[in-house]
Amino acid sequence: MKTKLLQIYYDMRHQPVIAWVSFIATALSVFLIMVVVMMQQVKVIPFAPESCRAHLLVGAFLHTESTDNSNNNSSSGMSYYVAEKLYSGLDGVEHTSYFSLSAEPSDVKSGQNEAFSAKSRKADAEFFRIFDHTLVEGRYYTKEEADAMMPVAVVSESTAGKAFGGRPWTGRQILVDQKPYTVIGVVRDNSSLATTACGDVFLPTGPDDKSGQWNDYMGNIAVALLVGDGVDFGSVREQVKGRYAMFDTELAQHNLRTVYHESPFDRETVAGGLIGSNVTPDPSAERRMRLAVYAILLIVPAINLSSMLHSRMRRRISEIGVRRAFGCTRRRIIVDIVAENFIVTLAGGLVGVIAGVIFAATYSGLYENMENFGSGDTPAVSALLSWTTVLIALGVCFVLNIFSASVPAWQASRLNPVNAINCK
Amino acid sequence: MAVITLSGIGKVYRTKEIETTALENVNIEVERGEFVSIMGPSGCGKSTLLNVIGLLDRPTSGTVSLLGERFDNYSDASLSHFRNKNLGFVFQSFHLIPSLDVAANVELPLLYRSGMNSAMRRRRVTEVLDRLEMTHRMKHMPSQLSGGQCQRVAIARAIVGTPSIILADEPTGNLDSKMGAEVMSLLHNLNQEDGTTIMMVTHNESQAMETDRIIRFFDGRIIS
Repeated sequence: MKTKLLQIYYDMRHQPVIAWVSFIATALSVFLIMVVVMMQQVKVIPFAPESCRAHLLVGAFLHTESTDNSNNNSSSGMSYYVAEKLYSGLDGVEHTSYFSLSAEPSDVKSGQNEAFSAKSRKADAEFFRIFDHTLVEGRYYTKEEADAMMPVAVVSESTAGKAFGGRPWTGRQILVDQKPYTVIGVVRDNSSLATTACGDVFLPTGPDDKSGQWNDYMGNIAVALLVGDGVDFGSVREQVKGRYAMFDTELAQHNLRTVYHESPFDRETVAGGLIGSNVTPDPSAERRMRLAVYAILLIVPAINLSSMLHSRMRRRISEIGVRRAFGCTRRRIIVDIVAENFIVTLAGGLVGVIAGVIFAATYSGLYENMENFGSGDTPAVSALLSWTTVLIALGVCFVLNIFSASVPAWQASRLNPVNAINCK
Repeated sequence: MAVITLSGIGKVYRTKEIETTALENVNIEVERGEFVSIMGPSGCGKSTLLNVIGLLDRPTSGTVSLLGERFDNYSDASLSHFRNKNLGFVFQSFHLIPSLDVAANVELPLLYRSGMNSAMRRRRVTEVLDRLEMTHRMKHMPSQLSGGQCQRVAIARAIVGTPSIILADEPTGNLDSKMGAEVMSLLHNLNQEDGTTIMMVTHNESQAMETDRIIRFFDGRIIS
């Protein structure tokens, strides 16, 4: 170990450009991979208000096609009626919530204040039992209030602040898209990375809400299912598939049938992007794409590091010959070079990890800006920097080292000792 | 008992265009404890011979036997282990590793030997450097040493593993006469006190005359 550290120190002093560029390149690539991993992490790790992600399934979209030759195909979100038909009362599901899949921009106005834009979402009362928004004032609306679509609203802290200024906020009137609502609850600002649960204004919806309904079957309703501990997602999907089959008997009178797209979707699938209401999402394709990005982030620096190690080794050919003369085996040459390189890679990697931590802690807007989302709280750094992330970073160091060091190390081990000793 | 036996050694270097004979039918026997000089003009095959004896290069024909062992079927790793245990090398240009201090350079052969922990290695290195009066330079880097001191360190490295055979390729070639005489005196001490067999390539007639035997080479062949 001492010999290897001395060698590294010597390289740093005598080949500073190559040594430092190798070090910095490693740090940079590990840092970049950490950022990419964290950007992926925020899509899947549980954080408020989506702490339930591990148990969450989202039912979205309805795709129907004609059974005759009329070519009458349509796909969209569901109406409340269809959502209930397909997803209500499933075994193993603890809570079922009906809500609008996306938070839409709305005009919000209060009294004489200027109107401003905020993201509003229709949701039933169960929504607040599945998603852990933090109530800072007032209360959530009840099932009765939601079913009756009472003109009450739950808003975020910043929305309340913008609309009313100081507290108290509850009991006051706001206009959402020119309709009056009484604010009964205020929740903490939430991250738009919580794509299923985020919003600035939450308005009640119930079975009789026709506002988001295009026809009897299509609308803008999605379903959140909180699945119980130990319940297999597959068993829930099987039940839903059965409901689709039953629903087909109703659609048959209109010469229609459903096309099932593996709904309800788990978090990874939702994170990968629900690319269309008539497409079966393919999380494995997204995973492959992600792996390809990681591979590029690894291979490019690995090639550079490899060529730099090559040029460092060129200056050590004679030394390798001497080591071989004194009994160093080819295998030991490879092990020593890879180990030396690993120490440098690991040190660079640790700097990359530290840079990643500092970056995540000081620039929490990264994930939102990169996604072109709005403002809001991002998950805590502690949630992002799980052991998994650190292990991935260390794994990256290891792979980077193997990629970059193995070829130069193997070539060094194959040198003829006599030629190597005589090499100047 | 012969510790080095070369029988019919030939070495031919072939490229696409040219074939060069470096050694031709070389037969040598060296007894335990002998100090043998190899002399001859530049390019006559002296160093090639030393490399073949040092198991760094394989002959094109003939057999090498060291300490009663033949190496025809030895793997590269087995040859490395044999070199580590039984052979010490001293080079004209010292070939100390510039990144390592004196102690680490001397320790090098012991790193490749199993069964020696770092305390044992450190003890042995101190012992050898003490013998060569280089203990005070232990923490110095090679770049801080004179040529004579570098060669002392190189000799320390060659003997640290207590090899039976030392192969020295023009060990005084890069030294002035005073330093050269010091190095020769060291080699003679090792030969006489430890009974180490030494084969030395040299151009220096007077140094060769001090050894037990001179083998003269010309065009890859022994001429006397």
